[in-house]
Amino acid sequence: MNKILAIAIMILLTGCSIGGEKRIKIFSVEEPRAKLDYPMPTALQLEELKWIIITSKNAEEVFAKLEEAGIDPVLFGLTDKDYQVLARNFAQIRQKLQETNNLLEEYKKYYEPKEKE
Amino acid sequence: MAIAIMLITGIAGAGIYVMKLRADNATLKANQFKLETAITEQNKVLEQQKKDFTAILESNKKLNVLINTFKKDLQDLDKRFTKKDRDIGKLAIDRTGAIERIINKGGKNAARCIELASGAEHTEAELKATLKSEINPECPALANPNFVEYQ
Repeated sequence: MNKILAIAIMILLTGCSIGGEKRIKIFSVEEPRAKLDYPMPTALQLEELKWIIITSKNAEEVFAKLEEAGIDPVLFGLTDKDYQVLARNFAQIRQKLQETNNLLEEYKKYYEPKEKE
Repeated sequence: MAIAIMLITGIAGAGIYVMKLRADNATLKANQFKLETAITEQNKVLEQQKKDFTAILESNKKLNVLINTFKKDLQDLDKRFTKKDRDIGKLAIDRTGAIERIINKGGKNAARCIELASGAEHTEAELKATLKSEINPECPALANPNFVEYQ
């Protein structure tokens, strides 16, 4: 009698596991990294400036004109050689800006390609 | 009695063997499926790598072209100041008004180049420019993409 009871309890306890799912299945789903998607930097809008050339001949005339126009008769000067250096420096700054912008565009294109519609 | 035991044992053994075969078969099928999936994934990875490699090459080529354009632009700028032993200082003394106009126009063009380099949109005139008289001589490659320099 005891044996039958023991067997019955064993069947009762293990009944659900017989023939059922025994292993836990683990799924790994790859979630793509969120896109940074920064907008491209806003383009510059530069203000116009005017160069005035002063020589020993026209200096008085230039200052007189400035006074006439109500502008302080003072000029910030550059020699012709320094003007060339300034032009070159600006060209280099512009090139660096263009290079950086281009790199940014290429990175965006490579890592954040636009989805095909 | 002995025959009966042998018969039962034999049937049981055969049953266990068949069950083992079925289990092996299931394992092999699962392995086959995994291998096929792995091959498909590997092919996809290889294809993507090929595409990436092409994109990298193209991008490098583009940047190299850009850097060469930069060199040429700087050389052109130097040429404008020193062409045929030109001395811009002396020219400015002799023809002050004309040089002032040229320098102001150059400054305006250079400022426009900076705007374009920072990502500004081209104007229609800049895009249409194909003649030397229509282009921005400070940065023709950037400002006038349709201009082809006459060699």
